[in-house]
Amino acid sequence: MFKLALKNTLFYKGRSTATAVLTFASTILFILYISLTNGSHNAILENSLKIYTGAIEIYHKDYRDIGGNEYLIQNVKAITDKLAKIEAIEAYSTRYETYGLLSNKEHSAASMVAGIEPEKEKILSSLESALTEGAFLDKNSANCVYMGIELAKKLKLGIGDEVAFIGSASDGSFAADIFRVCATFKTGSFEFDSSSSFIARSYFDELMYAKNRASYITIKLKNIDDAEKVNSQIITIIDDENLESLTWKTLMRNMVESMEVDAVFGYISLSLFMVVIFFVIMIYGFINVSSRIKGFGVLRCIGLSKRNIFSILFYEILILSILATVLATPIAAYICYYYSINPIVIEGIADIYKDYGIVLNEIPFDFNLFTIGWNLGVIYLLNFLSILYPYMYINSFGPFEATRHV
Amino acid sequence: MSKIILIAFVLILNLRADEAHEIIKKLDENFRGKNIYMKLEMKILFMGHERSMKMQSYSQGTKKSFVKIIYPPKDDGITFLSLDGEMWQYVPKIERIIKIPPSMMLQKWMGSDITNDDMVKQSSIVEDYEPKIIKKEGSLVIIELLPKENAPVVWGKIVLNIDTKTYTSSKDIFYDEEGKEVRYFIYENVKKVGNYYIPTYWRVQSSDVEGRYTEIFLEEVEYDREISEEYFQKSALKRFSK
Amino acid sequence: MYKLILKLAWKNSFLRRARVLLVIIMIAVSMSMMLVLEGVYDGLVKNMVDKNKRSESGDISIFAKEYRVNRDLTYRIKNADEIKAQLQSMKGVEAVVLRVKADGLLSTARKSSFASLIGIDLKEEEHFGKFSEFLKEGVIDLQKQGAIVGIELAKTLKLRIGSKVVFSTQDTKGEINSIALHVRAIVQTTNIGLDNSAIFIDINQSHKFLGTTSQDAMQIAIRGEERELYEKLKRAFPNLDVKEFLELQPMMKMMQDVMIIFNSVTFLIVMGVVFIGIFGVMYVSILERVREFGIMISLGMPYRYIRAQIFLESIVVGLLGYLGGAVLGAVLLIYLERYGIDLSAFSDALEMWGYEAVIYATIKVSYFTTTFGAIITASLLSVIIPLAKIKKLNPIEVIKADK
Repeated sequence: MFKLALKNTLFYKGRSTATAVLTFASTILFILYISLTNGSHNAILENSLKIYTGAIEIYHKDYRDIGGNEYLIQNVKAITDKLAKIEAIEAYSTRYETYGLLSNKEHSAASMVAGIEPEKEKILSSLESALTEGAFLDKNSANCVYMGIELAKKLKLGIGDEVAFIGSASDGSFAADIFRVCATFKTGSFEFDSSSSFIARSYFDELMYAKNRASYITIKLKNIDDAEKVNSQIITIIDDENLESLTWKTLMRNMVESMEVDAVFGYISLSLFMVVIFFVIMIYGFINVSSRIKGFGVLRCIGLSKRNIFSILFYEILILSILATVLATPIAAYICYYYSINPIVIEGIADIYKDYGIVLNEIPFDFNLFTIGWNLGVIYLLNFLSILYPYMYINSFGPFEATRHV
Repeated sequence: MSKIILIAFVLILNLRADEAHEIIKKLDENFRGKNIYMKLEMKILFMGHERSMKMQSYSQGTKKSFVKIIYPPKDDGITFLSLDGEMWQYVPKIERIIKIPPSMMLQKWMGSDITNDDMVKQSSIVEDYEPKIIKKEGSLVIIELLPKENAPVVWGKIVLNIDTKTYTSSKDIFYDEEGKEVRYFIYENVKKVGNYYIPTYWRVQSSDVEGRYTEIFLEEVEYDREISEEYFQKSALKRFSK
Repeated sequence: MYKLILKLAWKNSFLRRARVLLVIIMIAVSMSMMLVLEGVYDGLVKNMVDKNKRSESGDISIFAKEYRVNRDLTYRIKNADEIKAQLQSMKGVEAVVLRVKADGLLSTARKSSFASLIGIDLKEEEHFGKFSEFLKEGVIDLQKQGAIVGIELAKTLKLRIGSKVVFSTQDTKGEINSIALHVRAIVQTTNIGLDNSAIFIDINQSHKFLGTTSQDAMQIAIRGEERELYEKLKRAFPNLDVKEFLELQPMMKMMQDVMIIFNSVTFLIVMGVVFIGIFGVMYVSILERVREFGIMISLGMPYRYIRAQIFLESIVVGLLGYLGGAVLGAVLLIYLERYGIDLSAFSDALEMWGYEAVIYATIKVSYFTTTFGAIITASLLSVIIPLAKIKKLNPIEVIKADK
């Protein structure tokens, strides 16, 4: 049967080429489309993770809901020592966040002031790369504050200006100091840029009695896909029921959900393409089969069963699909791979929208062999489905009727 | 005949309402006098740690008050001025006068269970609530304060336990709109100062948070002492800081 | 003659009935799917834009300079009532509302949260943007210190209908002032900013509370879709901050742009594949009949008649497909316009981006006209190659050739 099928495919060149080309095109389209969707989602995710949120963060229970000094993590060092032992963690850092009043003459604003470890943040977050003016903090930057550009505007502050801070220290006592604006940043998120400022922990801890305390610990993983696995590892290793360790999926539930929505829309559109392509392949198969009804009739007359006919059709489509996918997959995979390393940069959009706080201007593809694998599976499935109708069509003719078919 | 009874009944009710008003007014006067000077210690229990602060407070009527922190040494000289609902703060360490914006006013005051708003809106108890006597037992009167319609207060009701011998409360309970208890004040050690009685121990506690409360010990109280107007000017913040 | 050709074309179209039907079904199904997709996407964006305009920005908003940066009472428009009167007499202006805004703290006995007080005139808002349609719970009524709160704010403070809240902020004299408000209604505008922090009260109440007068407003919002209006207003009020919708909502603009790109790409791909489908069928059906054509030519029928016949054939196929698609698409769209797609499973995320959980489609005539154009073009293009092949043929050889 296989030989016969092979001969047929070679004989009906037009149909074979068309089917193969269509399968080829749809394979490429499918793989690239999925890769682009996944890739851009990952990019959005990584972008937001990079700004400030970690892949995993450890909190004292209720800190996220209620907040306040009662729910700070105490004895942070004991925990970070344990984290250091986990292989999959690339970096971790502790942050001490507090809300206080920043004031410059008659202008004042409530702001989140966070004590950070500047050296570690360089690895963990994109805080440093959001710098617009001045120099990023370091261990010795003392009362230097790294301020969101919108907040600086609101308070009418420039680089080098002094700003008064009042708030409460981690024990609830009174804290006040004069900070100096050493640098400003712009992440693009207006919320964040208009209400956050950062200061080196080495200095801030003294003021806030926050040594060895933290609002939370933020963690960067070597591979973000391991988040769940590493998270359960962390929970076991810390072994403290007053603490909770959460992955980005929980930390950014809204974003995760909206990406799912986006993916749903993506799949709907994609299924449209697939339906159209499926039809076309079926039509080509059908045209081909109907022009061969006579031939099939003859085959049936000389004793081939319906099953045999089916296998011929099956082998034919298999040959064509294999041919198409063998060509298409490496090409598509290579394109995915290439653009996953060198993301597409949308120049125009970047310039226009950056001012509005849309940071993403690079759209990388996702290169994932597993995804490509299931994509191929879908293509094969579609192609096999496309022979069902033509097969039924042939069978609607009796063997003799078929031989007489014009 | 029935009319007379009715009139008598209404009269009695009125009398009782007036009595409640009278009691609340006296209670409020006891807390304030025309003006009052206090030196007090505030102890805050928080996460198993106790923190102590001492301060001097000068207030005149309901609209003006001046507070200076004298202990712990690191906070010595921090001053607060509230005038007509606005509030400023001076911090000697940074040599700045800072106006507290409305959004900070409702935050806990220096880590205590008292909000800035409590300090600013002292007058509210007389102006914003309608008192009603719900129980009378000897000199002890339990009064329920219900907010007047459209009074800008958050409490659903406040229940005061007042001793009419001294016109001081031994316990104030604050309820939310649904009638659930939110926090309470306890007052003890009533002392007579001049013509007034004042409890010298106060304790503020949230009803549903354990292991955390604020205590206030009045060390010195003086009523109706002439307080210089100079205390109630912005320049006072810096001037009286030392 | 043309009648004959038409007849021929019609008959020929159905010579291979199953095959042609397949193509027609293909066109119909893919076209209707595409229309639905377009309608749903457009509906999504349109709904969002519409709600944002209605609940907040209008087509154009005017603020005092600096207000948008500082959001302070000092930066208010001080002759707003005059401007309003002036605007109302302007051509192209459909509705104007004044709004008074102040940021402050909204508290209950247990909790307090940042909030924006917005003083509105309910009657005018109704005319401006059908405010009552945002109602989620309660009754729209602002009398006697009534207030309407955004749904997320209500969640944050655990507010219910009838709850009492106290809003505190600084008035024009710089004094902190508080006002008790009674929650009468909870609204969901799907405008994230409003849902998270807005508390609406009567505009006169807000003037009294803040110490402003009826001449003051923080925002003048204008409905009016004429394109020149924006430029005209900019020129008319050089001392004010005149902003059009898309400047106020850049995210919406991006969304609109992305949707347009996305829809065009979908359209191109689908039409491309439709073209390939028609092409395949026409190609085969023409080649099958090469002999017929040869005979016709040798009988003296000019090539252009054959061309016309083939064009007609493919147009018949395209047209039938189009009709099927248009009817099916229209039915689906009308259904979706009325009942929508329920995506409540993702409602949190959708609302975060200002979508609604149930998405309603829109229907535009242009969907049908552009698709019509595209399908007819695709049909015509699809026969060009087969035709070229026929033209090259030598009729004698063709007839002799046994397939």
